[in-house]
Amino acid sequence: MNVSLLLHLTILFVFPPLLLGFIGKTKAFFAGRIGPPLLQPYFDFFKLMRKASVYSVTTNWIFRAAPMVSTAAILAAGFMTPIAAFKPPVQFWGDIILFVYLFALARFVIILAALDTGSSFEGMGASREATFGCLSEITMFLNLTILALLSGSLSLSEIFLGGLSSSWLLVGPVLILVVVSFFLVLLVENSRIPIDDPDTHLELTMIHEVMVLDHSGADLGFILYGKAVKLFLFGSILVSIIFTFKTQDLLTDTALFIFEIIGLAIFIGVIESTMARLRLNKVPYLLFSAFIFSVIGFTVILVRGHS
Amino acid sequence: MNVWLDAILILILILGLFIVTSTRLGTMIQIFSMQSVFLGCVPFFLYAKDMEAYIIIVALAAIVLRGFVMPNFLFWAIRHVSVRSEVSPFIGIGTTLLLSGFSIAGSFLLASKLIFPVSISSGLVIPSSFSLIIMGFLLLVGRTKAISQVIGYLVLENGIFLFAILLLKKMPLLVEMGILLDLFIAAVVMGIVVNHISDEFNNTDTIVLTTLKD
Repeated sequence: MNVSLLLHLTILFVFPPLLLGFIGKTKAFFAGRIGPPLLQPYFDFFKLMRKASVYSVTTNWIFRAAPMVSTAAILAAGFMTPIAAFKPPVQFWGDIILFVYLFALARFVIILAALDTGSSFEGMGASREATFGCLSEITMFLNLTILALLSGSLSLSEIFLGGLSSSWLLVGPVLILVVVSFFLVLLVENSRIPIDDPDTHLELTMIHEVMVLDHSGADLGFILYGKAVKLFLFGSILVSIIFTFKTQDLLTDTALFIFEIIGLAIFIGVIESTMARLRLNKVPYLLFSAFIFSVIGFTVILVRGHS
Repeated sequence: MNVWLDAILILILILGLFIVTSTRLGTMIQIFSMQSVFLGCVPFFLYAKDMEAYIIIVALAAIVLRGFVMPNFLFWAIRHVSVRSEVSPFIGIGTTLLLSGFSIAGSFLLASKLIFPVSISSGLVIPSSFSLIIMGFLLLVGRTKAISQVIGYLVLENGIFLFAILLLKKMPLLVEMGILLDLFIAAVVMGIVVNHISDEFNNTDTIVLTTLKD
């Protein structure tokens, strides 16, 4: 039990920035460049940690607390997420609801901090984030509801470590809908390319990036780290839906999981390199379609029965 | 539990959603063609156990007519009237998408209440056909260009065909062929109408048909 717990925590805390490294490498490969080293996100993190933060005089404690609260909330969600075949350290009946709302809390404090700066530019980003956030949240809830109906459990660990593999045989099409819809939610929540470009600073279309412009030093480091962990958590849930095969051997499962999630990162990188960013007024359509995919899946489950 | 049939039906629904949400006429026609090919495959899965010659003929005829002849005809039509995209639909894209989503949910609820005399191997056939009919109807009422309305009509016909597949055993072959013929004539008539609208008014917007010319 202790080995599994240790592995869970190590992967949760150490691994996430590497995903960003893989995405960056993939994009560099498509652009014909060598690109930054795989460990670049770690270097950035440590560089930011050494720097002092600058606070505007218009801000108050909310602005200072937001990076810590949001990172802590995301990490707390990480404690409940089943990674590879490990039993998560925290699990109880109904933790999927807390799981979703921890992400909502993280988003909420960042929005508050953005409003706290008093800059109208950041307020605009906050409004966009809130709009897309409320659309993606309902989709995510619906997807988790489908999974909960299929596995007959309201706990993340039982959903993902239990019997999704038999569901693939019975209601495979529905699970494909869930995967597609969840992948779109992943792209929206982590502001990846068809929705938002994490690398540019072009004012017109920025969503997430615009809200953290005023953060600096260790605060910015925490925010970037929290973002990486969020991407990792969404990715690990997606991977646990798709690949239900488990060998029951701890180390093999971990290695498999690492390969799968790196594959997902490379896939995201491919999408970012081959697709252009959507116009901002088209983004809600993408979210509507993700929502409707899960609505179709939900109704199919209701009609077909979920046993 | 027919997973492949379910997968095809869900794919048909998703392609329907794509048609409803795209504004480029070329894309709409291509997706319609794909949808029709998948629709033509449904009888092979639905009647996999007791396949008969006329079922194969009906399915192949549907694939060829709806999947290839009709789209080519529509492509010819948009080349002829040089319309490329739907600029200002009556019902916006987002609204159409949400409405079709709710219509899909509604058709599932409706279909679960219906009692059907023939036993069906998949519970998704009837709801999918209802949703296709409603999506086609949404296109018919929500778009202004005559060609997107034709595509809407064809999507609606696809829904009716999906429903008719269920009755393939009971219905005579003649009726099936009648549906195909009906569809073909409808497309030809609409094509002629489209061309005449464009000859008379220099565009294919059906809004201009409501104002009198004096």
